Amino acid sequence: MLAFCALGASLSGCGSFGASSPSARALAYVRLDDVIKHDPLFPQLSKMDDAIAMVSLVGVSSRVPRNAADVAQQSAQLRVQIAAARSRTQRIIDSKRREYAMRERAAVSAALAAAGVKSTDIAAALGNVSAAQVRAAQQQAGKDFSAYQQSVVAQSNSAARSIVRQLQAQATQKLQAKELQEEQRETNLSLKLSQQDAAQRLAIQTRLSMLALDAETRKRLQGQLDAMTSREQAALAAQRASDQKEYSAYRTQVALETNAAIRVQLAKINGDTRAKLVSRQNTVGAQLRSSLRGPQTLANVSPATRAQIAKIAQQIQQQYQSDVQSVIADYMVTSDALEAQYATLHGADAEAAAATQQETAILQQRRQALYQQIVQHVEDDARRLAQTKGFRVVFADVTAAPGGYDMTNDLITDIESEHE
Amino acid sequence: MKRRLFPTILVTAALMTAVAPAATGKDLTDIGFVDQSAIAALPAFVSVSRQMAAYKAQMDAKYAAAMRATHSPADRQRVTQQFNTQLNNEQRQLAGPAFLRVQLAIASVASTRGLSVVVDKRIIIYGGQDITQQVTRLLQSSQTILPIGTAPPPSEIGFVDQTALEDSPQVKAASAQMSQYAEQQRTFFAQQLKSAGNNQQKQQQIAAAYNAAMDAEQNRILKPVVDHTQAVTAQIAQRRGLVLIIDHADILYGGTDITTDVQNALSK
Repeated sequence: MLAFCALGASLSGCGSFGASSPSARALAYVRLDDVIKHDPLFPQLSKMDDAIAMVSLVGVSSRVPRNAADVAQQSAQLRVQIAAARSRTQRIIDSKRREYAMRERAAVSAALAAAGVKSTDIAAALGNVSAAQVRAAQQQAGKDFSAYQQSVVAQSNSAARSIVRQLQAQATQKLQAKELQEEQRETNLSLKLSQQDAAQRLAIQTRLSMLALDAETRKRLQGQLDAMTSREQAALAAQRASDQKEYSAYRTQVALETNAAIRVQLAKINGDTRAKLVSRQNTVGAQLRSSLRGPQTLANVSPATRAQIAKIAQQIQQQYQSDVQSVIADYMVTSDALEAQYATLHGADAEAAAATQQETAILQQRRQALYQQIVQHVEDDARRLAQTKGFRVVFADVTAAPGGYDMTNDLITDIESEHE
Repeated sequence: MKRRLFPTILVTAALMTAVAPAATGKDLTDIGFVDQSAIAALPAFVSVSRQMAAYKAQMDAKYAAAMRATHSPADRQRVTQQFNTQLNNEQRQLAGPAFLRVQLAIASVASTRGLSVVVDKRIIIYGGQDITQQVTRLLQSSQTILPIGTAPPPSEIGFVDQTALEDSPQVKAASAQMSQYAEQQRTFFAQQLKSAGNNQQKQQQIAAAYNAAMDAEQNRILKPVVDHTQAVTAQIAQRRGLVLIIDHADILYGGTDITTDVQNALSK
């Protein structure tokens, strides 16, 4: 439908004075789509169309390396690995907790025996806790910790994704602004160059159109024209090369700054997550050991033995904390790696699609600006021509024209003579 | 008339850059024009525009989800049509009263100035009477704008609703054929681009070839239909004594509507 409208906007065939009414003689129209093809900036517009086509085709193929099914399959695999890492960690922590509880029990029992406490009193002091009770308590503690761990990691991932998105969006905005700024600079230069020697060009062209011109003068004038064109092209090429270099350096700088900012933010989030998990594990472990230790009726034990038992408990607690901390740190590393793969897997798709959209949007904006510039130039010429020819009203892009004057060819000749 | 204002409000910024044609005493005619972007910048329309933008953002998410669930071009077309209808309905509801006031204001000023037709400024390159300021002043005033009692005087300008013509079986068939071709070419050229690797020059050549293929096919499939439609439109316009025919979307007041005649002629 759009293509139809676009084609419909330009009339084929050449209108002339319809002379159906006297006023028709004063009405004219211009087929803008046909005229703009003769504007000196039109090749740039075509290049931009090709660039837009390329970005859109790239979006269809190479930048999206995986199809939806592949992404889904790999996502599922990663999710299984993430869950396995979490449950493996949980099993290790459970085992450590059991091991340290037993170690504490044995150490306390030995200390009490060494202090001459009877075995029955020792059993009473440590509490008659059955193996089944130990298992049940540990299972519950493990389940609680696992739920907490899952929720903390999910919050952490969500915060990380949000920060990455935010920082990337900021970077994209910076690059877009830079691109537009450079594009404007190049367009302005192009216009300035074509305007500044327009009069001189016209004078040379007028002389060249004279038949009575000797070959040497013609060659000299043609040389002058060619030199002017070369100068303009060289100036534009230099500006473009300088802009590209500047943009490339700026893009690298923005990418470095963005990645550094992302790393800092992610390290902070991961550190907070790790600290929360360790703290929670310590609390759970202490509660569990305390509940498994029993009533601790050590009334008949000497203060020295009590102090020794407290020391044993403290030492075991410290060893346990240090051990658990390293288990959780191991888990975090594995988890981070797997989550990063997961995010990359999804990000690869989203990024490619977003990049395609962003690039297309930038190019479309630049194309629109260039198109407006060409149209403005064409319309300026058309107004001058209309005044010279004494038209009353000149329309752009009419749908059909049984009458009126078609100014298109006059305008094309005018524009070509200006820029030949 | 309304349809022109809806998109205008959404693309005000783009239209702001348009250049006003010169209008000297010598150019005074019965053809007037209005800069719709200036009207769209009035507070009443800015507010409507904001509300529409919010509604559209909400609809965009739903549209994207609905499009993801489609399986064929026909499905996509159906979903697009459905969402466009919803969007248009909301626009009518939100902006209807404001647009009616604009219509009345343009008609009032045109009648006072003796204009036979008022068009969108975008399509006037030279001449004509710019009535944007008078219309804006009238809209900003608190006075009630009454409908004018008389019909616009006859004009040599006619108009045709291109969107209505797009519903013709020939245009629909050509458009469907073009869409199918475009989809095939996209897949084909995307594959070519992939095989070009990182060779920038080859990539550019492929993109240019893709655009050239699309242009050629447009000329082969769509151009004959467009040419035929234009020839029929011109014949009817000539019979009705009209000099120029413009799109309905660009007409704000007056003019002769020949859409039905063209539709009937095309359906024969």
